[in-house]
Amino acid sequence: MRGFSRYAAGTALAILLVATAFPFWWALVASVSPEATLFERPSLWPREIVLEHYRALFDVRDFWIPIRNSLVVAGTTTVFCVVVGAFAAYAIARLRFRGKALILGFILAVTMFPQISIVSPLYLLLRTLGLINSYPGLVLPYLTFAMPLTVWLLVTFFRQLPGDLEEAALVDGASRWQAFTKVMLPLAAPGVATTGILTFIYSWNEFLFALSFTLGPERQTVPVAIALFRGQYQVPWGQIMAAAIVATFPVAALVLAFQRRIVQGLTAGAVKG
Amino acid sequence: MRSLRAATLLLFAALLACGEDDGGETVITFPGSAVGAEAELVRRQIERFVADRPGVRVEFQRTPDDATQRHQLYVQRLNARSDDPDILQLDVIWTPEFAAAGWLHPLDRFGPDTADFFPATVRANTWDGTLYAVPWFVDVGMLYWRTDLLDAPPATFEALVESVRRGSSETVPRGFVWQGARYEGLVTVFLEVLGGFGGAIMDEAGDVVVDSPEAVRALEWMRSLVERRLSPREVLTWHEEESRFAFQNGTAVFMRNWPYAYTLMGREGSRVAGDFDVAPMPAAPGGEPTTALGGSQLAISAHSDVPDAAWELLDYLTAPEQMLERAEVAGQLPSRPSLYDDPRLEAAIAVPADRAREILEAARPRPVTPIYSQLSELLQIELHRALVGQKSPADALADAARAMRETIEESGIRDLEARR
Amino acid sequence: MSAVAPRRGFEAAERRLAWSLVAPALGVILLVALFPLGWTVWESLHVHDLRMPWRGKPFAGLDNYVAMASDGRFWASMGHTFFFTAASVGLELLLGLFLAMAMNQAFRGRGLVRAAVLVPWAIPTVVSALLWRFLFDAEAGIANAVLLDVGLIEEPIVWFIRASTAWVPVILADVWKTTPFVALLLLAGLQNIDESLHEAASVDGANAWQRFRHITLPLLKPAILVVLIFRTLDAFRVFDLIYVLTGGGPGTSTEPISLYAFNALLQNLQFGYGSALSVVVFATTFAIAVLYIKGLGMDLGEGPR
Repeated sequence: MRGFSRYAAGTALAILLVATAFPFWWALVASVSPEATLFERPSLWPREIVLEHYRALFDVRDFWIPIRNSLVVAGTTTVFCVVVGAFAAYAIARLRFRGKALILGFILAVTMFPQISIVSPLYLLLRTLGLINSYPGLVLPYLTFAMPLTVWLLVTFFRQLPGDLEEAALVDGASRWQAFTKVMLPLAAPGVATTGILTFIYSWNEFLFALSFTLGPERQTVPVAIALFRGQYQVPWGQIMAAAIVATFPVAALVLAFQRRIVQGLTAGAVKG
Repeated sequence: MRSLRAATLLLFAALLACGEDDGGETVITFPGSAVGAEAELVRRQIERFVADRPGVRVEFQRTPDDATQRHQLYVQRLNARSDDPDILQLDVIWTPEFAAAGWLHPLDRFGPDTADFFPATVRANTWDGTLYAVPWFVDVGMLYWRTDLLDAPPATFEALVESVRRGSSETVPRGFVWQGARYEGLVTVFLEVLGGFGGAIMDEAGDVVVDSPEAVRALEWMRSLVERRLSPREVLTWHEEESRFAFQNGTAVFMRNWPYAYTLMGREGSRVAGDFDVAPMPAAPGGEPTTALGGSQLAISAHSDVPDAAWELLDYLTAPEQMLERAEVAGQLPSRPSLYDDPRLEAAIAVPADRAREILEAARPRPVTPIYSQLSELLQIELHRALVGQKSPADALADAARAMRETIEESGIRDLEARR
Repeated sequence: MSAVAPRRGFEAAERRLAWSLVAPALGVILLVALFPLGWTVWESLHVHDLRMPWRGKPFAGLDNYVAMASDGRFWASMGHTFFFTAASVGLELLLGLFLAMAMNQAFRGRGLVRAAVLVPWAIPTVVSALLWRFLFDAEAGIANAVLLDVGLIEEPIVWFIRASTAWVPVILADVWKTTPFVALLLLAGLQNIDESLHEAASVDGANAWQRFRHITLPLLKPAILVVLIFRTLDAFRVFDLIYVLTGGGPGTSTEPISLYAFNALLQNLQFGYGSALSVVVFATTFAIAVLYIKGLGMDLGEGPR
């Protein structure tokens, strides 16, 4: 890896970062421009800065409510999936029993149906359970795509861990449970953190279920709230872009907080050898 | 582990919460937009409604204004026999579809005053001889033209082309802008041009006639607009908003759009404020000016447990007084012709009232059939293929007509009609 | 299996532990997913059209699937879906691998870069699609402005009226949005590779490419497999993005299978046929996943460890 010239890598990385940031920059410009100027010749800088779109977001649309809802729903889904998924993944990656391939295949198969085809039966199911327009009513369907992702990712991460430490703990008289919680989980921290972040954003972005299983602003999530900005014909571009910008902050903050975990673990030298 | 327990608790709490009793109150659920002037208005009108009706409560459900999303949401709820919402806010093309599916409460027993509405709106909301929805407000396609560039709106398609040539310049390069992306809007524009050429999508007997010579001429004319750059090629990717901005920024001579644009373009920031007017769409000899009928209808869900109370609310919201107020606040056009003589309407709407009525009288509903959305989809695809140059207009319309006929055949709708 | 009794007891205990660990995850998935999946398959075996109650809901066996075979629009949309999946997943894998390797280097501000890279993924798809529609607008879009400036084109390209050009913004938007997912996953995989292996190889005189080819890539294989599976799954079911960007147009030239199924199911209320289309999407993605697993020579843990 060291031969990978740091200079070249840095330059290429910088280019990629600019390419990544550019559409975001454009959204930022659009969010502070008067709407009428958006459809004129493109410009890299706002011709005139207005904050009306942001003001409308909080004064008129109470945009903090969908942000709260999204945080609760995506957060709960993530915590639930990572905890429950970690057990399952550990068993599949580390324990000897039959039917692993079947379990993995089944879990994966669940995510393979197009959302649009299961949204109607899920609605029926949630209505029977009385969960329409509730947080659990979103977390439950989110499990259909979040759980398979978590399990598969964690299985991969657990598999990669060196087995000798676990063996040593077992030989020292630790139970399987202790070996799992005391040795494996800390080792797998980077993988768990990555999985958590990915699951969180996956849930954060979900639209169709959130639209279908909520009834009002008190439970609607960010993507749904933004979609509701649209009128029958009118599209409030400025407000939509402002909302997109605002909504990235909680996610970015979370990623920033969690990404330290990704770097720790192996690079900290905890397992070398 | 703790979060697992918490999640389970949460689940049970929610399960328990769902069995609440309403305590003898009549609750009507009403879906609609939650913010904006229009939502405020509905809220105010409903407050007045419940004020003299003790024991009645109206609950709002916030639903998307975007037609596709709303349609999908309604389908899910209705198919699951959900008892809310009680009232549905339908796009004009959904009424027969929802009625055929058995999702709407027939309204005839309430004795609605159908004679007081524009006949086209009543026709669009009638399926199998029964009225299923009441027109709330109407939307019509109009030709916007620049009063600073032209003296009078064109009456014929040739005059329109002529005017585009005359009105275009370096700063006004876009000629005639309309909605040409592959979506429902394209069908409405085509319907208007088609009527102008004397054709129709389906005839009175319900047969598909969209491959008639008139239809081919209409589509050829639309394609020639793009080919001769009388309309920018971009219109084939445009919905309402893109054309509105093009016209609002002063870069087009003509625009086909709905009335919503009128109010927005009169505001500050618009380059054409005070410099535009509306007219009916043009027509060729043998055709007549045609406009596609749009707008919103109110209906009662067949699964509603309070249909009578829901009718009262529906009747209240579609009463003349509320329609006038709606026109004043949201600029939406009433569906009762008698209101167009009311001076309050003249003052309320941006479009001059007599002009609006003239355009409305030319309004034509899209084919009234439960399988409209599918027929429209087949047509949209072929129209778009012809316009972008993948097919000739004649071939495209022949293919569309064949596919539409097959679909109708397969549906068994004709047998059903014959039996009745 | 060992014949020694205590050994067998130990294995049984391990098996019990394993099943009790797997049970919660399996249980939840069964609870939420089994009914919807079964429902979809059941619907797909019927003629069922909500708009036509008079036709009832007769059992039709495989009729819907047979009808699909002669449905040109179905085959075309499958073709579009395969094309989109191959192009976007391929690009995402390459770019994501590069990004991950770059981010794996120690440099100042690495944490910030990692967070920043994820931003596109945190923007709801519906919004990022609108954004890209704007960037590729013929007049107001920056894409044409740049190409005109550089002199690559003479007049603005109307991206969305030709099939060949319409795919460009579609694929770019997807790559922009989901490369972060790929990069982060591969980065986690890279973090798990023992640095000493590289050091040893360096000492033995292996150059950067050889080390990448013979150490990094093989060790990264499990992570790559997971990336491929999940990205392919998502790309194959692409919906929002294309719905907003092209609506499937021009004509049906960019219509993916999910959009077709959406129209059949929720716009045209053909529950039977729409469900059958969904089942085909399911079967196809499943087949692709199996191909990946076999092709990359992964064992799912059945063999002895």
